[in-house]
Amino acid sequence: MSEELIQIQNTFRFTEENQREFDALIGHYPVKEAAMLPTLHLAQKQAGYVSPAVMTYVAALLEVPLMKVKDVVTFYPMFFEEPVGEYVIRVCHTLPCALRDCKGVLAHLKAKLGTDVASETDLGKGTTPDGKFTLMKVECLASCDVAPVIMVNDDLYKNLTPEKVDEILDNL
Amino acid sequence: MAFIKLNDLEVEVEDGTNVVEAARLHGIEVPHYCYHPGLSRPANCRMCLVEPHVFFPPAGAIVPDRQLATGCTTVLRTAPPNRKLDGKYDFIVYTDSPRVKKAREDILEFLLVHHPLDCPVCDQAGECDLQDFTYRHGHDKSRYLEVKNVPPKKDLGPDVLLYSTRCIVCTRCIRFCQEVSGSNELGLIHRGSHDEIDIPRSHDGMPLQLLDNKLAGNVVDICPVGALISKDFLFKSRPWFMKQEKSVCAGCSVGCNITVEYKEDGVYRLKPRFHEEINQHWMCDDGRLGYGYVNSDDRLQLPMKRVDGEFQPTHWADALTQITEKLSEADAEKVVVIGSAQGTNEDNYVLQQFAHEVLKTEHLGLFGALPGEEHTFPQFTIEADKNPNTAGARKMLSNGTPVLEGEALWKKVSEADIVYLVSGAPERSLEAEEKAVLESVDFLIVQDVLPSEVTALADVVLPGTTFAEKDGTFTNSKGWVQRIRKTVDAPGEARIDWEIIQQLARQLGGEMNYHFAGEISLAISENVSGYAEATHQNIGDSGVKLAE
Amino acid sequence: MVEEKRILYEHLDVPEIHTFDVFRQHDGYACFEKAVADYQPDDIAKMVMDSGLKGRGGAGFSTGLKWSFVPKDIKPCYLCCNADESEPGTFSNRYVLEKNPHLLIEGILICCYAMGIETTYVYIRGEFTLGKKRLDAAIKAAYANGYLGKNIRGTGLNVDIYTHPGAGAYICGEETGLIESLEGKRGQPRNKPPFPAVEGVFRKPTVVQNVETLCNLPFIVGNGVEWYTKMGPTYGDARFDPPKPDPNTGTKLYCISGDVNKPGVYELELGLTCAELIEVAGGLRGEQVKAVIPGGSSAPILTHYELDTRLDFTSLTLAKSMLGSGGIIVMNETRNIVDCLLNIMKFYAHESCGQCTPCRWGTPWVRDIVQRIADGNGRKSTITRPKFGIAENGRWGDTGETEDIYEDLDLLESVANNIANVDTMTWNTICVFGIAVSWPAVSYMRKFRPEFEATIREGKLTTLSVEEATVPPEENYAYQQRIVPRELE
Repeated sequence: MSEELIQIQNTFRFTEENQREFDALIGHYPVKEAAMLPTLHLAQKQAGYVSPAVMTYVAALLEVPLMKVKDVVTFYPMFFEEPVGEYVIRVCHTLPCALRDCKGVLAHLKAKLGTDVASETDLGKGTTPDGKFTLMKVECLASCDVAPVIMVNDDLYKNLTPEKVDEILDNL
Repeated sequence: MAFIKLNDLEVEVEDGTNVVEAARLHGIEVPHYCYHPGLSRPANCRMCLVEPHVFFPPAGAIVPDRQLATGCTTVLRTAPPNRKLDGKYDFIVYTDSPRVKKAREDILEFLLVHHPLDCPVCDQAGECDLQDFTYRHGHDKSRYLEVKNVPPKKDLGPDVLLYSTRCIVCTRCIRFCQEVSGSNELGLIHRGSHDEIDIPRSHDGMPLQLLDNKLAGNVVDICPVGALISKDFLFKSRPWFMKQEKSVCAGCSVGCNITVEYKEDGVYRLKPRFHEEINQHWMCDDGRLGYGYVNSDDRLQLPMKRVDGEFQPTHWADALTQITEKLSEADAEKVVVIGSAQGTNEDNYVLQQFAHEVLKTEHLGLFGALPGEEHTFPQFTIEADKNPNTAGARKMLSNGTPVLEGEALWKKVSEADIVYLVSGAPERSLEAEEKAVLESVDFLIVQDVLPSEVTALADVVLPGTTFAEKDGTFTNSKGWVQRIRKTVDAPGEARIDWEIIQQLARQLGGEMNYHFAGEISLAISENVSGYAEATHQNIGDSGVKLAE
Repeated sequence: MVEEKRILYEHLDVPEIHTFDVFRQHDGYACFEKAVADYQPDDIAKMVMDSGLKGRGGAGFSTGLKWSFVPKDIKPCYLCCNADESEPGTFSNRYVLEKNPHLLIEGILICCYAMGIETTYVYIRGEFTLGKKRLDAAIKAAYANGYLGKNIRGTGLNVDIYTHPGAGAYICGEETGLIESLEGKRGQPRNKPPFPAVEGVFRKPTVVQNVETLCNLPFIVGNGVEWYTKMGPTYGDARFDPPKPDPNTGTKLYCISGDVNKPGVYELELGLTCAELIEVAGGLRGEQVKAVIPGGSSAPILTHYELDTRLDFTSLTLAKSMLGSGGIIVMNETRNIVDCLLNIMKFYAHESCGQCTPCRWGTPWVRDIVQRIADGNGRKSTITRPKFGIAENGRWGDTGETEDIYEDLDLLESVANNIANVDTMTWNTICVFGIAVSWPAVSYMRKFRPEFEATIREGKLTTLSVEEATVPPEENYAYQQRIVPRELE
């Protein structure tokens, strides 16, 4: 009745540049495990998402059990366990943004991209079929004075209206 | 010792004891889930909340702390003289105040919010902490109207299933895998109310690593609810239908303390029993799942003799008569008696007495299961010697003369006419040389529990008993003498080993008159050096350590 | 009209202030140099104690007192700078990190000098990509100019600063959650005691301070304690005789958002009133203030009757709320309080770390109850019960009238109080996340009960006028109980 273990395909390795960054990183901490979050960020930046291969690689690199990596990856919403679009659009929907009509922005984005909002366990739901965008809701992005805000990958866009959203998407 | 006020009791406890243990020692229950004495204390279930006094109260004042504290992490220590509460107490703590009772009710309500009402089909029902504590401390109805979380049932490994819906996320199993087995297969996934215990998997649920270590079965024991379930025991029996007996595992020379749970038709499961110096709270899966041969349909049930090269069942009188005839004619120099490291001290002592006093032979050997591999874990060791009583059997058999083992034994056997081999090692295989030597013996008497390569060579086979079917003592590798106790009846006409030997002795004119194993242990305590303290009365449930 | 008093934010709008050279031109690192030249480490610690600086992260615990708990004989000791700013309504740290990161480095240097710390981790929110980039660049520049690293400016002081990115978990802003996260684990808060000051990151003594707290240090050292304590009120703690001084000194970066005309961060002396702050922020957007959240979403809400409450640590605590991280969210008359509570409860249900039982399963339950009420499926009983309130004799008791029973409101209050009791301020959880959940839930429901009742009665979200929606002060037991602290002469 026991399940079969899956074999991990396409092994992941850091690029030389990332390896250098990792080597610098690991020296910041007295224990290797502490470098978990920065290392996962680095790996996710390279691979796009944290696949089993990435998890196994990071576990070996930091000398921690595989389950600890899985543990951390599932705890933090910024780590993706499945492929996401080229642009990840994070829409803040906490109270200050809600008071400034983030719902309108979200509805506009949904209509424009023609996709649903991703849930944490099913990112595919929020990804456009062409794999260009992933739309997700996030909690407060700490920019309540310029609400409503969205983040597209690493960039923050402020004081949004549906028109501004169009402009941003067109410029991507 | 710390002098504490526990509710309205004034009690003394050892420094460093926590409130849960201190209360337990004095017969007060502090319900808890995440706390396990053998593991670290995350205090995450919040069930053991108690009402303490502030640690550093203003001079002369006695004030209850504003916050309730978890009993598992509140450690009692002797306070310096100027810090005594009420002039004499080192600490004051209440486990039954209205606030504590309210908190317990509240926590239980939360614990039951997503817990399914599947007790009628749950294996744990009857020995479930959630059932028991809810019955004793909880609400009688639920106020929860929303949709329950229904995480999937999961297969974790060769012997463990996870019913995630029943899980209360106490993380005992995770901490076990981190601290005791050191194998780290288990962890939490997701966050908040979606927390689930799991093994590493890819996103689509395919396992990357299984809960597959030799201590994995313990997570089922320590699970306070029916979330982790042993596949071996799944749907086999309700706990309250089984009888329990304290015993010792016969799987290796560690001698883990166990509880044998059984019904009339056989042994159902073995569970570890706490012994501070031997196995703490744990046992290995080899031992836990190794009881299968006791219930086996293949068990030897009748004496058998070889007629024209074929085995034929016979009755005891016939088998014993045939043996006594052979033995009474034999030259004592050509008789070898071989005891077993699987047998109890009592079996081997009687065998030794039989050899010396009745057969007058000096040739006593020791036989047993083949050695296995040693496995070491951070807090547990599985020893390579797969016999529970090597040390004891050697001592019992060597009363006066050295015991033959290994090469010396096989050499002696090759010269013998008659060999009486008490084995008891289930499914013992033989090396080619061993086989050749045994084949050369004129008359081979084998007393065993299961057909094996050894019994296949015998002229007469006598059905013996396993550890689950007799009383006696085992001596482990560290010199602990511990009791095993009879649980189920021996199958068919199989008899207790020392009774068979005694019967043979009597038929050969020997004077042996033991009625029960305890009597033999008294003889052992008188006649075997170092065993003076090791009577059944003294051994009790926790064993006796022999002097070095 | 209260004037802004820019100290921390003085140079915030100077172009390119995030570069080392521009920062130096504006007297950057001068306070650190003064600290090293003029004072012994113990003097600095004493100055911080005397300044009455309270931690700006949320709990408002005295910084000097926290430092005094750190054992001197255990090394290494670490400093963790908490830049995991995630409390809804708070955004002041982001500006410091993005615009003036050198100020933070200077604050860290002073703290390290005072406490003999050599390693600092700045735990920065994963979403603050620009902030992290700027801080990393500033750290690099500081190393290049000899303000970080070994033997800083020939003083023999060694300090290393490392930034550590978070990954989107609110609970990592809790100090022990932050420490766990820094150690590469799930951000699940630890049991206390031991407190981080004794056993923190890597099981060593650790000082955990918010960005804003650290940014105050250069000014305390540079301008002296006397200058600093002149800002903000010092109250007398009436429980002691003579009243014990309870300083609320310095400035605070008030983050104001929601229905005001000019939302943003305003640096003001502590102790102005809520109404004054709304005035500073360009006035209300709308007709009438319905409610104000004074300290981030976990703080109990204030009604329009309570706008005279002074926004400082002591006054708000005595008004049964808290200043928290200083994130003020204003709501005007068009807002529905049930809807706002639902939004906040969704936030907490999502962010609960799931470690301990009451929070793991209580928080989503509270959310579900509020959701049900907001959906119009709230339950109301067909029977009534005696009404409690101000009775004829002028005291709290049975009024002789009857009232309707709203079962779901009772359930909401009971479940929230079972996670953490807001009346006794005790919690059954490991960390204070529990109280951060039940505080808003209970306070919104108690202070705006008519709106909740109307929503249940009507079977849909119903927004009442401000007067109708708010429980009047004479019927509000909590309001009657509130204490207005008196300033020491």
